[in-house]
Amino acid sequence: MEAPPVTMMPVTGGTINMMEYLLQGSVLDQSLESLLHRLRGLCDNMEPETFLDHEMVFLLKGQQASPFVLRARRSMDKTGMPWHLRYLGQPEIGDKNRHALVRNCVDIATSDNLTDFLVEMGFRMDHEFVAKGHVFRKGIMKIVVYKIFRILMPGNTESIEPLSLSYLVELNVVAPAGQDVVSDDMRNFAEQLKPLVHLEKIDPKRLM
Amino acid sequence: MRQTEGRVPVFSHEVVPDHLRTKPDPEVEEQEKQLITDAARISPDAAQKQIQSLNKMCSNLLEKISKEERESESGGLRQNKQTFNPADTNALVAAVAFGKGLSNRRPPGSGASVQSGQPGAGAIIAGASGIQQVPMTGAPAQQQPMLAGVQMTPAGQPGKMPSGIKTNIKSASMHPYQR
Repeated sequence: MEAPPVTMMPVTGGTINMMEYLLQGSVLDQSLESLLHRLRGLCDNMEPETFLDHEMVFLLKGQQASPFVLRARRSMDKTGMPWHLRYLGQPEIGDKNRHALVRNCVDIATSDNLTDFLVEMGFRMDHEFVAKGHVFRKGIMKIVVYKIFRILMPGNTESIEPLSLSYLVELNVVAPAGQDVVSDDMRNFAEQLKPLVHLEKIDPKRLM
Repeated sequence: MRQTEGRVPVFSHEVVPDHLRTKPDPEVEEQEKQLITDAARISPDAAQKQIQSLNKMCSNLLEKISKEERESESGGLRQNKQTFNPADTNALVAAVAFGKGLSNRRPPGSGASVQSGQPGAGAIIAGASGIQQVPMTGAPAQQQPMLAGVQMTPAGQPGKMPSGIKTNIKSASMHPYQR
């Protein structure tokens, strides 16, 4: 992710508020190939890119009720890649017109002593998983199809097992706040993937 | 002989009626003549009505046939049309959003959702038998101790799968995502 552009506002620190627009769905293992074919056709022509990532979610419990959540992700198959630290805010409850889940997001690339740093700061790891799948791109949209693996022994990424018999499909865009036309584009793209996958905005709070 | 590529040996009187015929056979010609006189006999209205009913029957038939074809195709497809499982979607989204079903969280619903796609062999435990404590080595000192998740057991999985009931001991520190 490139650096956000310089603003005209007085510099009080901080960056442009980037929002993540998200649509999610899933596809069963047996239909994965057809989905990948379709995506290869619909998306930008690039080398099919697979990834194997290990993500750890850290919580900082303060006196307030809701803890602060940070997600640290590292690549397990590509060497030399920085760690990716991500903050995701609460989904914006907005109008029903918005077709995608919108939340504030901050992405930072870090060096590989991230976990030590977070632990020193007082964060504790809440859960972790391994994600293995494919990533496609279309313009500013990113489509990720991946399988989530549960880690059986904490810290040991070799002993993993799939969480379910489906792949999770996510369509997301990171864009500055206020660009609602993005969600229309996303919805149009999601239409193309029906009836293989139903991409929709899923409110995680509903699933608690 | 040359002209017919050796098929007609002699151009005789027997060959002529067969090869040089332009009108249909006499019997056929008779029948046709009869049909024509019959058709001319009916009034134009009756004729029109007959034409319409014939057209309608033909179109009905065609529709029935095409529908039958379409239905059988889609019927065949529908069995394996399930390309996604909404329960799986929810389980996966919950896992990514707040770790439901992953390492040290007890997944209440994930057992059911996983079971839907389960191949016959797997045994899901909603166990009453022994509570097993899974030692969490190196886990940061934290709220919930022990967790035995409900999980799917692909046949032949090496290693011990923690089975049994969840022991979700909540102390004063509450569930972080409780609202």
